[in-house]
Amino acid sequence: MKFTGLRALVVVACVVALFSMVVVANLETIVSDELIPEISAAAGIALAGSYADTMTEAGLVVLAANGRTIGLRTAASGALAIQYRAKTEEEIMAILKGTADPMIRAAAIEPALIYLISVTSEAEDFSLTDYLKDIAINGETHEMKLAAAKAYYFMMRGSLKVEDLEVQAVTNDSDELAYAAGEVLAGFYLSFNPKTQAELEELVINGESAGMRVAGSIALAALLINSDLTVLDFETTLLSIAGTKTAEYRAAYKVALAVRYGS
Amino acid sequence: MKKLVLVVASLLLVFSACAVVLAQGYETMPEDALIIPLGVEGTPYDFLEPGVRGGTMYISDFTDPKKWNHTTSKETSTSLYTSQMMAGLTNQNPVNGAIEPELAKSWDVSDDGLVITFHLRKVNWSDGTPFTADDVLFTFNDLIYNEDVDTSSRDNIQLPDDTFPVVEKVDDHTVKVTLSMTFRPILTQIGVAIMPKHKLAQYVHKLNPDVPAGTFNETWGLDTDPAELCGLGPFIVESYEPDQQVVMRRNPYYYRYDANGTQLPYVDKYVVLIVASQDVSLLKFRNGELDVFGCRPSDVPILKAEELAKDFTVMVAKDKPVLGTTWISVNQDVGLADGTRENLRNLFRNRKFRVALSHAMDKQTMINNLVNGLAVPQWSPVSLMSPFYAGRDYYGGPITEANAVIFEYDLDKAASLLDEIGIIDRNGDGWRDFEDGTTVEMEFNTNVGNTVREGAILIIADDLQKIGIKAVANPIDFNTLVTKLLSADYDFVYLGLTGGTEPNSGGNVYRPCGTLHAWHYSACEEPYEVEKRIDELLDAGAATLDNDKAFEAYKEYQITLAREDLGLLYTFNNAYTYVYYNHVGNAQVASPLGSPSSYYGLTWDLVFKKG
Repeated sequence: MKFTGLRALVVVACVVALFSMVVVANLETIVSDELIPEISAAAGIALAGSYADTMTEAGLVVLAANGRTIGLRTAASGALAIQYRAKTEEEIMAILKGTADPMIRAAAIEPALIYLISVTSEAEDFSLTDYLKDIAINGETHEMKLAAAKAYYFMMRGSLKVEDLEVQAVTNDSDELAYAAGEVLAGFYLSFNPKTQAELEELVINGESAGMRVAGSIALAALLINSDLTVLDFETTLLSIAGTKTAEYRAAYKVALAVRYGS
Repeated sequence: MKKLVLVVASLLLVFSACAVVLAQGYETMPEDALIIPLGVEGTPYDFLEPGVRGGTMYISDFTDPKKWNHTTSKETSTSLYTSQMMAGLTNQNPVNGAIEPELAKSWDVSDDGLVITFHLRKVNWSDGTPFTADDVLFTFNDLIYNEDVDTSSRDNIQLPDDTFPVVEKVDDHTVKVTLSMTFRPILTQIGVAIMPKHKLAQYVHKLNPDVPAGTFNETWGLDTDPAELCGLGPFIVESYEPDQQVVMRRNPYYYRYDANGTQLPYVDKYVVLIVASQDVSLLKFRNGELDVFGCRPSDVPILKAEELAKDFTVMVAKDKPVLGTTWISVNQDVGLADGTRENLRNLFRNRKFRVALSHAMDKQTMINNLVNGLAVPQWSPVSLMSPFYAGRDYYGGPITEANAVIFEYDLDKAASLLDEIGIIDRNGDGWRDFEDGTTVEMEFNTNVGNTVREGAILIIADDLQKIGIKAVANPIDFNTLVTKLLSADYDFVYLGLTGGTEPNSGGNVYRPCGTLHAWHYSACEEPYEVEKRIDELLDAGAATLDNDKAFEAYKEYQITLAREDLGLLYTFNNAYTYVYYNHVGNAQVASPLGSPSSYYGLTWDLVFKKG
């Protein structure tokens, strides 16, 4: 009886492992095809965890910079972001400020946030938010500025209302700050100040700034994930809108598809 | 040769399997197991589900523990762990707050309510040693009542007449507790952590004169070999790396089981990452490095932006508001000390004025504008999560609000009431006046810097101005505010109080001679009839060990306070917020009732990792 139970357990484990292999194998096929960049990238997002578990940092660095498709580069960058969580503050900042490929620098943005929000100073008049805002405007690279901008809005989140963010997502001291304001704004559109799908689609297509379009894109992606639409539906849509509408509109479908792929 | 290798390998497997069985604890479910009916309809746990065993939960805290000794611990950074290692005779249900049997499987109460006989479960400590009445006596008589032991539990278990319950052994699994007076909250307070006599008696000077006085206070420090630790709770400390993490492993002899007969806890281990701040915890949660997080209302928007893409759930539980109260205190003793402001004092003492004020409070607008809707209106001094909350129909029952005392927002009604009591505009300047023609005006204070409270008094003052009451909002320094409140030197104050689930703990606020009866201190000498009744009802609630009778007394107490006394006018309570990845089963059990020692309200032994 026990042996039968053990055998059943082994069979179940094998089936699960086989299923995972099949899923990953399918994604590997999709990620290697760049006909529709957003579909390739969606598979890349879904594969990041698997790449982080199985590839070396050195291999990922090469793939993130030189991968044949946007999907492969996205997967490698996402995997690096996971591996970079173990890096020190100095290492992360060096990557962000350095001359590595933007896909590699992008991988350091999320791990940098923990360090950026923890910055302290002995200066009496030191203000963390002023410090972060300054980097978001004058940082060495786009990725450094974006990390600081995200950290700035993270720290400011409790004191901002939707009206403030709608202004700051349009007019701000740097594009990165406007973008980060848009990211937080999306959360308001998904909670306290909900918008309909039609309103979000209008925003993501005709929004007056990248920040507003990003807000719409993130919120729209959430509605799409929550819908009954299937992988095939999302792939079909991305095929039909390839190269049209806005990058943020296509990004909403890309993120939703990545979730359906199993990110 | 191959066969020999196989035989040896098989023997090794059999041996290791036996070793695993030996470490598994009970061979079969003990007769006295405590069944938690997860998913069983008609029980408080019907919204949960039976889980599967295995996996590791990752959570975080931002302070290192100080020791592993629950009895001498004074900080939540320690009790976060020790409360998982230990258990008490009684426990609070994490869903409805009811006091329930835990290590005591039942208890009997004598007719006079002075003797409680606890029947103990026949279960084992985590090292396999049987738990007995000797452990209970050791905990109370040799630790908690022992002046040599540095414990805050002593104050908690002291009765109102300054005596302590007498704890005696009847037999190995029966303990008798004798009280000098009937005091129902004792059932909550008797639930202190029971400590293992077989491990710790040797460190108590009273029992072992060979060790110096105070030795127990240093026992089970952070340098203790974790293998030496043992408990009755779901988890035991396995390892600790300062500034890094604490790992807790399952107690193989834990006595709780689910309705399917699966022993709890479900997960094998909890890893508590020690991080720099709650903000770092939030970022780690977003990265997927933590399974659950006790988020704050200000975290909700950024979490909602990622909720579906990252497959987690942001719990905004308006049906689980945090414990405590937020209120306006109308000073009925204003000017009493120096014999001034008699008009205003008489007005504030007029119940109809306070009813008018209640109708002028737009709680929903405050909630929408000030806390993004993440709160619920409040009408009772007892927290909504308490089993004694009068919005329930019976002790621990579902909340129906059938008994709620609601003064709906209605400025016309408020104005009519003011007209009725003769507070009208006598000179046509738009402001209401007293009979002598002086304008009714008052200052409205709260603590400066608290943006929610500042916003609240602006909204209320604005509404009062709309009906001709000249109320001026003036936020002031917190310490100054508290001094004014406690010296009855104010008109209106907007503030809050922390709270629990036991109504009797509000005695220092609501009894006429309470030290925080700050809206009517003179009641101590000259109480109103309604205040005398409130005092009686608080006594009645504490003087019975029957929860149903206590509920009836406390229900009348809440309704009387809200409808007749109107000493404090309640506004709203923030909703409980929590976030968890959807691969964590039963995470929705998280509740303010578990806070703070259960990691912001999570009941550790009920959650599980989904496949």
